[in-house]
Amino acid sequence: MVTYPQRITLCGFGGQGIILSAVILGTTAVTKGDLYAVQTQSYGSEARGGQCQAELIIDRKPINSPVAEKKNLLVAMFQTAYEKYIPTLEEDGVLVIDPGLVTELVRPIRTTFEVPATQIAVDLGNRMAANMVMLGFLSESMGIIGHQDLLDVVKDTVNPRFTELNFQAVEAGAAYAKEHGLYH
Amino acid sequence: MPIVKASKDRVKTGVHFMLGNYALVEGAISAGCNFFGGYPITPANEISERMSQRLPEVGGKFVQGEDELFSIFACTGASLAGGKVMTATASAGYNYMQEGLGYAYTVEAPLVIADVQRCRGENYASQADVYQMRYGASGDYEAIVVCPSSVQELYDYTIWAFNLAEEYRNPVIVMSETTIALMRERLDIPEASAIDLYERTYTSLPPEEYLPFAAPEYGCPDIAPLAEGYQTIYSLNPHDEKGGIDWDPVVFDRLYKRICGKVRENADRICRTEKFYMDDAEYALIAYGSEVRPAIEAAELARESGIKAGVLKLCNVWPVPEKAIAEIAGQVSKIFAVEMNMGKYVNEIRRVAAGRCGVIPVTKNLGLVHTAYEILEEIKKGVR
Repeated sequence: MVTYPQRITLCGFGGQGIILSAVILGTTAVTKGDLYAVQTQSYGSEARGGQCQAELIIDRKPINSPVAEKKNLLVAMFQTAYEKYIPTLEEDGVLVIDPGLVTELVRPIRTTFEVPATQIAVDLGNRMAANMVMLGFLSESMGIIGHQDLLDVVKDTVNPRFTELNFQAVEAGAAYAKEHGLYH
Repeated sequence: MPIVKASKDRVKTGVHFMLGNYALVEGAISAGCNFFGGYPITPANEISERMSQRLPEVGGKFVQGEDELFSIFACTGASLAGGKVMTATASAGYNYMQEGLGYAYTVEAPLVIADVQRCRGENYASQADVYQMRYGASGDYEAIVVCPSSVQELYDYTIWAFNLAEEYRNPVIVMSETTIALMRERLDIPEASAIDLYERTYTSLPPEEYLPFAAPEYGCPDIAPLAEGYQTIYSLNPHDEKGGIDWDPVVFDRLYKRICGKVRENADRICRTEKFYMDDAEYALIAYGSEVRPAIEAAELARESGIKAGVLKLCNVWPVPEKAIAEIAGQVSKIFAVEMNMGKYVNEIRRVAAGRCGVIPVTKNLGLVHTAYEILEEIKKGVR
């Protein structure tokens, strides 16, 4: 069962498409799922390589506070970002990490998923699609957004040159979720 | 004042997940904006960026000038030439506009300014300019400042701002800030047929009978169409009904009483507020802009711990919604004035409350909106 509100942080480093992932998740939830969502972000002044995080709250009703102190889902795609945001995850929250980039866990979270998004993207031919692998995994495992809805939004949001690669990446992420257990 | 419906080809009807700055632009386009003059500044850049894309699509003009003085003067000129105009800037850029803004107030140019307040240099949120919105320019005038608290309201209130600008022939400021400007949120854009727009009233008199600044005691003069034989001097100096510069005390007195009076005397018609959990409230949070959001949540949390708190949301801060604030002051034992600065608008609330209840400032100046729990802590301290 999905509980609302979903309070999510996605974090990593600049250039991984962290904010884009949050925008796509939010867009899918709002425009396809008729839900409410608020997305805020912060990033360093570097164009690439700096720490980067996006917060997303999804609810069935309008959302008041745009920032949530405690999160129930943390998606971490880089070690230093993970270390910075892991304290904000609730005790019974869900942690999703890319084990290639988050190698040292500092706080045990019972529900932890290791999704080798970057490795899967590299195998598909472009490591830049790691965020799409992660989105595919989330759509399948969160139970908030529909798979086809996600594909439609990805198609509308991202440069058409990459649509095929992104679709493959989303499919791969969804397949990974099916193989490795879901949390809802 | 003639009212028309928004044009269908300008309104992106539907459900969106949109950036606040973009929603403000869509509000302006829906309201019929056809000229934007601007100069880049963070965190208002997405407004210029989208305007430069959207205005050409609807037959409007986008001009990037050399500085903020250009922005405000270009907008004032375009407005007096018949345009529905907007500029956007952020705190430091708004400083530079004051000379032109003072002129726009005096010549009664309808225009909309989006001020996306910031602090700590760039993308940090603030409401520290709430007084500057009102008193930035020299001289006597009244400001109309609306303060959206969400992406939806950035859209809705921008349309409202354009309507107020036309109705009162006054600059109107959309007081935004980083929290909502750079936030993405659900935005429901209605059908064009559901959006009412105020059309400018042009004079029906021929040029030889037309007096450009003749108006009822607290009303607005009708504008003359440009390049149709009417000749108007738009002067910053005191001017008589013909527009001629005139330092006669009677002229002076009448002009400024009218320029201020058209807003002051209509404050009750301009002001909007909303109440949350106020029916049985013993304590009230008064907030504006994005601070309304954690305030509502804080009231809910307070009620969970047995404190009967409610919220008065100010949809505009200038003119001061005195009637609504006074009514609250007569109902509760304490007002908590929540704002994202070191404590400014609390002075207006104290003035209006006039000792009828306690007024406690709840301030934060860290570049971040309050959390509901921070406000709750202040309520608990204040209630003790």
